[in-house]
Amino acid sequence: MISLRINGRSVAVDADEDTPLLWVVRDEIGLTGTKFGCGIGMCGACTVHVGGRATRSCITPLGAVAGADVTTIEGLDPAGQHPVQKAWISLQVPQCGYCQSGQIMQAAALLKDFPDPSDQDIDAVMTGNLCRCMTYVRIRAAIKQAAAELKGAAGRE
Amino acid sequence: MLKRTLIALAALAALGVVAFGALAWRAPIAPITPPAASSFAPALVAQGETLAAAGNCATCHTRRDGAPFAGGLAMQTSFGTIYSTNITPDPETGIGAWSEDAFRRALHEGVARDGGHLFPAFPYDHFTKLSDTDVHALYAYLMTRPPVHAPAKASKLPFPLNLRALQAGWKLLFFRPGRFQPSPAHDQQWNRGAYLAEALGHCGACHTPRNALGAEKRNQAYAGAPIDNWTAPPLTAANPSPAPWTTPELLAYLGSGVSPLHGVAAGPMAPVVHAGLAKLPEADLRAVVAYIETVGGGDARAAATAPAVSRALAADRLGLGATYDADARLYTAACASCHYNAGAAPNAARPDLALNSAVSLPDPTNLIRVTLYGVGANEGAPGIVMPGFGAGFSDADVARIAAYLRRTRTSLPPWSNLEQKVAAIRAQGRGE
Amino acid sequence: MSRLQRAIETGAHPLSRRNFLVVAASGGAAFGFAALGLAAIDPAKPGAPATPAAGPLFEPTIWFEIDAVGLVTVNIIRAEMGQHVGTALARILADELEADWSQVRIVHVDTDAKWGLMVTGGSWSVWQTFPIFSRAGAAGRLALIEAGAKLMGVTPSACIARDGKVISGGRSISFAEIVRRGDLSRRYTPDEMDKLPIKPVNERRLIGRPTPAIDIPAKTNGSAVYGIDAKVAGMVYARPKLPPTRYGAKVASIDDGAAKGVKGYLRSIALDDPSQTVPGWVMVIAETYPAAVRAADLVKVEWSGGDGAKVSEKDIQDHAASLIADAGAGSLLDTGGGGDVDAAFRSARSTIEATYTTASALHFQLEPVNALAFEKDGVFEIHTGNQWQSLILPTLATALDRPVTSIVMRTYLIGGGFGRRLNGDYAVPAALAAKALGRPVKMILTRADDARFDSFRSPSVQKLRMALGDNGRVLAMDHAAAAGWPTQVMAPAFMPKGANGRPYDPFAIAGADHWYEVGAQRVRAISNDLANSSFRPGWLRSVGPGWTNWAVESFIDEAAHATGADPVAFRVAHLTGKGRDAGGPPSAVGGALRQAAVVKRAAARAGWGQPLPRGVGRGVATSFGQERDMPTWVACVAQVRVDRSSGEVAVEKLTLVVDAGTIVDPDGARAQVEGAAMWGLSLALHEGTEFANGQVRDTNLDTYTPLRIADTPEIDIEFVDSAEPPVGLGEPATTVVAPAIGNAIFAAANVRLRHIPIRPDDVRTALSATS
Repeated sequence: MISLRINGRSVAVDADEDTPLLWVVRDEIGLTGTKFGCGIGMCGACTVHVGGRATRSCITPLGAVAGADVTTIEGLDPAGQHPVQKAWISLQVPQCGYCQSGQIMQAAALLKDFPDPSDQDIDAVMTGNLCRCMTYVRIRAAIKQAAAELKGAAGRE
Repeated sequence: MLKRTLIALAALAALGVVAFGALAWRAPIAPITPPAASSFAPALVAQGETLAAAGNCATCHTRRDGAPFAGGLAMQTSFGTIYSTNITPDPETGIGAWSEDAFRRALHEGVARDGGHLFPAFPYDHFTKLSDTDVHALYAYLMTRPPVHAPAKASKLPFPLNLRALQAGWKLLFFRPGRFQPSPAHDQQWNRGAYLAEALGHCGACHTPRNALGAEKRNQAYAGAPIDNWTAPPLTAANPSPAPWTTPELLAYLGSGVSPLHGVAAGPMAPVVHAGLAKLPEADLRAVVAYIETVGGGDARAAATAPAVSRALAADRLGLGATYDADARLYTAACASCHYNAGAAPNAARPDLALNSAVSLPDPTNLIRVTLYGVGANEGAPGIVMPGFGAGFSDADVARIAAYLRRTRTSLPPWSNLEQKVAAIRAQGRGE
Repeated sequence: MSRLQRAIETGAHPLSRRNFLVVAASGGAAFGFAALGLAAIDPAKPGAPATPAAGPLFEPTIWFEIDAVGLVTVNIIRAEMGQHVGTALARILADELEADWSQVRIVHVDTDAKWGLMVTGGSWSVWQTFPIFSRAGAAGRLALIEAGAKLMGVTPSACIARDGKVISGGRSISFAEIVRRGDLSRRYTPDEMDKLPIKPVNERRLIGRPTPAIDIPAKTNGSAVYGIDAKVAGMVYARPKLPPTRYGAKVASIDDGAAKGVKGYLRSIALDDPSQTVPGWVMVIAETYPAAVRAADLVKVEWSGGDGAKVSEKDIQDHAASLIADAGAGSLLDTGGGGDVDAAFRSARSTIEATYTTASALHFQLEPVNALAFEKDGVFEIHTGNQWQSLILPTLATALDRPVTSIVMRTYLIGGGFGRRLNGDYAVPAALAAKALGRPVKMILTRADDARFDSFRSPSVQKLRMALGDNGRVLAMDHAAAAGWPTQVMAPAFMPKGANGRPYDPFAIAGADHWYEVGAQRVRAISNDLANSSFRPGWLRSVGPGWTNWAVESFIDEAAHATGADPVAFRVAHLTGKGRDAGGPPSAVGGALRQAAVVKRAAARAGWGQPLPRGVGRGVATSFGQERDMPTWVACVAQVRVDRSSGEVAVEKLTLVVDAGTIVDPDGARAQVEGAAMWGLSLALHEGTEFANGQVRDTNLDTYTPLRIADTPEIDIEFVDSAEPPVGLGEPATTVVAPAIGNAIFAAANVRLRHIPIRPDDVRTALSATS
């Protein structure tokens, strides 16, 4: 049994410690918003947060996250209204949508480190997230829109 | 290595069997009935707990998923595999029957209660410097642990290295018993740090290169050495990290496992920080830092930090935008989401690889290991992980990333035979 | 599970769609079975209760129904794979129905014979559905007005329908109330439907207006359900061991000794496939997917046979070239009489000739192919995302040895189609394994397996010739294209006969029958039999024009330069709209003149002719999409910078102008063009692989390098305002980008590249050859 927290809940998982976190989240916990894309950490569809940092769950063994805090797309915001999610809807970013959980999780993490991201920052941090529908133009725009909302919120506080 | 060792041992044998035999024999110390845990003062036990953490006793004396201090951890040495022993107060398989005298003799002289010589994988060459007071506290702590029945595993050393009596010869050649002597040239803080690092922390056990017979080379103290399939980097001025190891960097690294300008404590260093140094009182941590700083003299070179940081931030912009360089694409897609930095300074949570020690070391082992196996939530920066790319990447992919970083993030000579090194490290496995 | 059981027990054959209908909140998208099966397993969200439609129902056609509370449910037979197709199609119906859009929801239905041909491809969805859904909506509107008028005691002619209500003067009655109280027994025959009046363009209230796509919110919070998320109690997981070749391999031995040490490993099964879809497959079965993955790595399989293990890309391309060299090979397209091409070449003042090639390219849809299969109460259920259910169902019937009518395909969101899921071959091994085991099997391919099993885009070779007369007048054009033919391999019934009586794959040659006036014209489509027998060629976004338009538009550019003409002016001069290029109803009104218009517009928008720095150039290319009777007119200007020392091509900007007739969903249309153009860019500069010894060389993203965000240039898109019938948008913009870039490279650096993807080495080599 390996214990960790997923979306704020403590869970104990009976699986080998080398089981990829992705399959634990999807099949053991049943949160299927996190997707399997390439299995080698090169597409970003499986991105979750571990300790608040964007992490490719397909190559993260369960044993490595013992005791850690994992957040999946389902737990990013209780109402699905994280500024990144709102911007994604407002700019109609997703097409097939398969990569978008990962894109959103990566973008949310990006904005913590780069509250006012340049195109270059976005390129560097988001290039690990492949979008096969190639919604990249909108991803860039939506990240900037979410950044503006977050800054506005920070300004009001 | 082994061949050289055997030749040296033959020479040793020629020293004379008689004298050697006399030297090799040590008297057993009578067994005792384990003292009741309640016989030790709680304050003393608590003090011992801190000391045991700083000395990383549990790190070596606990196997993966095993009971603390019950031993059984395999240590790969260049001579063979040695298993750590059970140091819980179990009278039969642990140290329950050891009196404090026996315990002290083991630490100070490397001799077991039964009179047998201990292998120097147990760093008694450091612990000999421990004060009797600290030994007293350590004894109290260990004797109050829950006893675990766990027989020691036999070490796998080739003949004649497996003869414990031969260890006496080793001691004759290399072992200098004696308590720590403060240096009048330094202040009290430095001396405290030196004591903690030299005696209890046994930093040199990993960071000082060893000779053919496995003894630390005194004239190359802290010059860096291979350890447990990793590289312990030099702590001296020879450390090739672009940013010097200044006091703030050392404090951050040894106190939290994360240095903004060097990276995180991974591999065997992870428990040294997280299970040990991080638990020291602040004053002791600062003392260790004060001592280690003088080993490398980082503060005097602090001016080198700013240029190194600006070079690193410039390197972070390489390969961005549309690029056709296959290695740059691989690096950016696999690594930059976490390792890219911009702005005035790197973010400690985004280890900057132009500054990271692993990229600048003469040997790529550490970089390859971290790339293959990642860094768990209980290592490095606590609670966050780096995934391991070994499961999905070919040896060639890992080699490409290492070569790309070396090429673009340093001006150091390229690493050779990278792909073979990756294959070899993959064959070693993740390790415990 | 109980819901599933109940549904199956109460369902008529194969399974009553309505029993699987889940109606969530207003405006939500529901998927026949998918949402139902999964709602319960997500502890992060409260399970959405399945609200059955409130009876009575008004269901004037199979395409929609209105329930007693006024909810309008539109049945969508097209797969949702990013086009927001349900939104676009429902808007067509709802507009004509005069429904309140906030009361409209969509259901992506499971397979049933009543839906007719179920295929999502060819950019056909809106074009094909528009007339059907317009009339379905009109039928509903008329019936509701009739019944509503009766309830209000007025004549129908005194009523209008608007916003979900029937209105007469100051009075109104809601659709819901009409459904509850009115007489809505009215049904329409197909003949009646065909005659129904459709609203004039100026009365459209939803079509062409911006609207959020119904499927998007669920794609931002993890609740969207794809095939890979399908789940049923008691299922086991499978990962296949793929044979060394796509065809012909037989399992000689299986050694699973090492796999037995994997916790959760169950067994390995060599599939017996009467449909020959997956010859030589071994399914490694385990209780969890990671266990199946690990076990499959340890299972040792030996195969015998399998031609093609020695075939590589060069063999295929050399074979294509030899087929082209054989004047008797291939099928001739009807090019409208064509004229005497050979005579024109004999009398030409000069001729130009060039050969263009394209590399193998993977679909690399991000959701690896997968399927869940099980038999339940006499019905075989296949849960998977698919683009062409009607094609794979008969194959499944053969494989399972049971009638098509006892197989149902449950519909799921598709994590990337791009044509991969037109070929439903992946459903077969899951079904066979479920049959062999007698329990539900969920098969997921790893990424590398998916790449190896891809029906990738065939490499191609094309030879183009042009005969020029006095003053550069174009006398004739001759185009021969050889590639693997997906339609021949997978759907030969869809192959028409050419002018010489030989069948051809229309999708593999589309685009070569362009709208330029070129005098005598010959288009020869050649099936590369070596490609067809070595792998399974696939339809990849836009299919044939992915290579034909690369050749045509590069070659037209070469012709312009050869005759000293400006590339834009040359195109416009030859898009005369005369003869067969005049076009005509229903969908090609305006013909080539509309293509000329987009070329001019794109050129103007991109600043064509304005000076550029040294090393920077603009190139233009245009396309009519795929099919002459459903043309989407597209033009693209690419501005690129060529680094002469590295050979790297930086795309600075893409400008596209699109005339797709009526735009139903403006933002969705823009998204399709953005994505298609980026695909085109990726195929032009970034992605491509090679067939090597019976397999594709690149099987994952460590070496396969599709476009990523950092490669994305500025893009400017304009739609032509048009009231013509809507045509397709998913594909056409894909095929203009590569030739526009190739032509821009020529403008920037005076070198002509004739192979895609264009790699820096190719540019450097070309530069050193000219200097």
